[in-house]
Amino acid sequence: MNKTNTLSIPQKKHWLKQSPSKYFEIFLCIVLFSFIVVPLITMLTKIDKDTFSRVFSDDLFLESLLNSFTTTIAATIISVVLAYALAWAISRTNIKFKTIFSVIFTLPMLIPSISHGMGLTILFGNNGIFTRFFNTSSHLYGFSGIVMGSVLYSFPVAFLMFVDIFKYEDYTPYEAAEILGIPKHRQFSSITFPYIRKPLISIIFTVFTMIITDYGIPLSVGGKTKTLSVLLYENTVGQLDYSAGALIGTFLLLPAVAAFLFDLFNKDKAKSSFITKEYIPTKNKVKDTFGYIISAFVSLFILTVIVSFCLQAFSTSYPSNMSFTFSHIKRALNKASIGYLDNSIFISLFTAFVGMIVTFLTAYYTARVKSKTSKFLHIISMISLAIPGLVLGLSFVITFKTSFIYGTLVILILANTIHFFASPYLMTYNALNKLNENLESTGQVLGIPKYRIIFDVIVPQCKHTLLEVFSYFFINSMMTISAVSFLATRSTKPLSLMINQFEAFNMMECAAVIALMILIVNSIMKLIIYLIKRKGEKYVNKKSI
Amino acid sequence: MEKNNKNNIKETKTDKIESVQETKKVKLSIENITKTFNSKTVVDNVSFDVYDGEFLSILGPSGCGKTTLLRILIGLIKPDGGTILKKGKDITNTKISKRGMGIVFQNYALFENMTVLQNVEYALIVNKTPKVIARKRALTLLKKMHLREFENKKPYELSGGQQQRVAIARTLALKPDIILFDEPMSALDVSTRLELCQELKRVQKEFKTTMIYITHDQEEAFTLSDRIMVMEVSKISQIGTPVEILKNPANDYIKSFVCDNLTNKINNLKHFVELSNEQN
Repeated sequence: MNKTNTLSIPQKKHWLKQSPSKYFEIFLCIVLFSFIVVPLITMLTKIDKDTFSRVFSDDLFLESLLNSFTTTIAATIISVVLAYALAWAISRTNIKFKTIFSVIFTLPMLIPSISHGMGLTILFGNNGIFTRFFNTSSHLYGFSGIVMGSVLYSFPVAFLMFVDIFKYEDYTPYEAAEILGIPKHRQFSSITFPYIRKPLISIIFTVFTMIITDYGIPLSVGGKTKTLSVLLYENTVGQLDYSAGALIGTFLLLPAVAAFLFDLFNKDKAKSSFITKEYIPTKNKVKDTFGYIISAFVSLFILTVIVSFCLQAFSTSYPSNMSFTFSHIKRALNKASIGYLDNSIFISLFTAFVGMIVTFLTAYYTARVKSKTSKFLHIISMISLAIPGLVLGLSFVITFKTSFIYGTLVILILANTIHFFASPYLMTYNALNKLNENLESTGQVLGIPKYRIIFDVIVPQCKHTLLEVFSYFFINSMMTISAVSFLATRSTKPLSLMINQFEAFNMMECAAVIALMILIVNSIMKLIIYLIKRKGEKYVNKKSI
Repeated sequence: MEKNNKNNIKETKTDKIESVQETKKVKLSIENITKTFNSKTVVDNVSFDVYDGEFLSILGPSGCGKTTLLRILIGLIKPDGGTILKKGKDITNTKISKRGMGIVFQNYALFENMTVLQNVEYALIVNKTPKVIARKRALTLLKKMHLREFENKKPYELSGGQQQRVAIARTLALKPDIILFDEPMSALDVSTRLELCQELKRVQKEFKTTMIYITHDQEEAFTLSDRIMVMEVSKISQIGTPVEILKNPANDYIKSFVCDNLTNKINNLKHFVELSNEQN
């Protein structure tokens, strides 16, 4: 029997005689359509005819466009190669401290992108530690700074994606190749490369989109090198020129749309792979030494950037007076940062709760209720993947500027939920798809209501994924500076935007304090989630003894 | 037109067998059931009877419509046409949980987050059986299914065969008078299959339940069944006892799909035994 027939196949009913569950599914469609597609369309309709000639004839636009592409291409290549090498070191060598290395590699994901630029300034800027140590002039500001910062900002995401790919690679073809005496470089070209080709393209698109749409790094270390994202930021936040912003935003949308279409058309063609044998790395001195060197070097670099925040935050007057002080923390807190921290935690917690619930419900319908509505819901959810934060923020401003939610925390929670929706949605969708397809049917036969099956059986089986989803929404909401930068008001401003403000006033020490505060809050959240998950695992083990 | 299909099929039976079956009570009567998906007819005007306490196998290759038919019987899929009568009462539109039927799915669909005991008592508790009674009934069933020592284990800690017994115990908890099986042994190894075949027969005898069993495996069908219903694409080719089908295959399809396949298997085994004897 083919698989489609083993699922509960919906029966045709009159649209007025649908079940409450169906009405809720339609309601979800309307809500997501209203907050994902409608703002985007509204933004595009705001571009007037004059804007085209005004923007395209401006040399700054063409220069920014060129800068955006050159820096992004360079940073994407370095980021993807570095991430591959690190993922290889963690998954394919026999080095020790893999967990510690992995945690360090992902630390940059816990702080706003602008902080990476700031860290690089502390290290390599005009008064940077290394610049002074080697008594040289700084070449950070401009192309090199944007590329370095963008690599630091984007490689952890690519690293996690590569680790995932390596984890699910079957070792059997390699064993066969060894037996046949196929040399290692041929094994790479004929086994590894075909296996990673498709996900590699996805990773390249993801990294490219991340970098080209980020304005934090070019703003802090770009110097005179302007990029499209900075131009968009300046046009809208600075000059309130929404029409030009919308046109530039459309350009930033293109790579993400290309990535989205690529994924959409390749998903069904992808072959499912089964691991018959997991890769177990054997001892190899050359490989292990290389693994240690690259892991240690990158870890050291990341930790140096983080230590540099501490240096900046706790030195009296960096770099002339390095004596220890708490005065910058006091200064940063006097600037009402505590209120902004409250805002951030409130926004992040609510985004995490709302995001987790909406993600689960949407993924439940798309993964486990096969209907035309659920297919439509899936497409809307996937569209959110293609909208960069900056563009989303701008489209929200244009759409909701006159609504009652504008200027409240609600719009920030909504924007964050939509901004970070796609990845957790896919995580939950995959987790729900992996569950036994007959759970609901079993419930029906046993007289168990559907909601009981969802809460008593499905949610407990997805609890680890839901915890990850919660943590993903929280951490990203804590550190985002993209969509929120257009939507926050003086009273609703999240902590992360204080970094922009302190940097603009050249209060680098206070900016460092804020970056550290965000890092600490996000690390605590990571730790809490880790402990809850470990407790759950221990409980399972204890019960099974 | 009515019951056309059923009459045609009955023609293939011998008079002797027919008279034996006429004395049995009809438990379930399926009349002219039809189901179409995207203009493809998956079940085409199918009619047959299931007798009280019998073990009926529905045998057919993948994609012939047997799982759809099973899902129609239990109510998970609504037919486009036809009726299902249980003890003479029309249950075509009856709520799934009120049909007095249970089902064991191919992959068992056990609740992985619950223990074996919780899996069995959960439906009873949700259906408002007092907790003490639900626990007692669940423990009795686990004992009868030789699962008491695993009551606190999670399903993923059990073997395939043990999981299947939990699925049967869970189904039996609600005391259904008909149990449907959707290729429950396809994921099991040969020795476990043999063991479970005997176990199923034992359960059927002990609980006096009518069982309808979907399979594509001729051996399984012939080992377990009182009667076998062979399906071609969307239609019934023949219904009869295993002996009838072997002796009087209704058409070439039955001859090749059932009889020749089984004969080949037996011949291969015979050949293997002869070879081993020669070597000894």
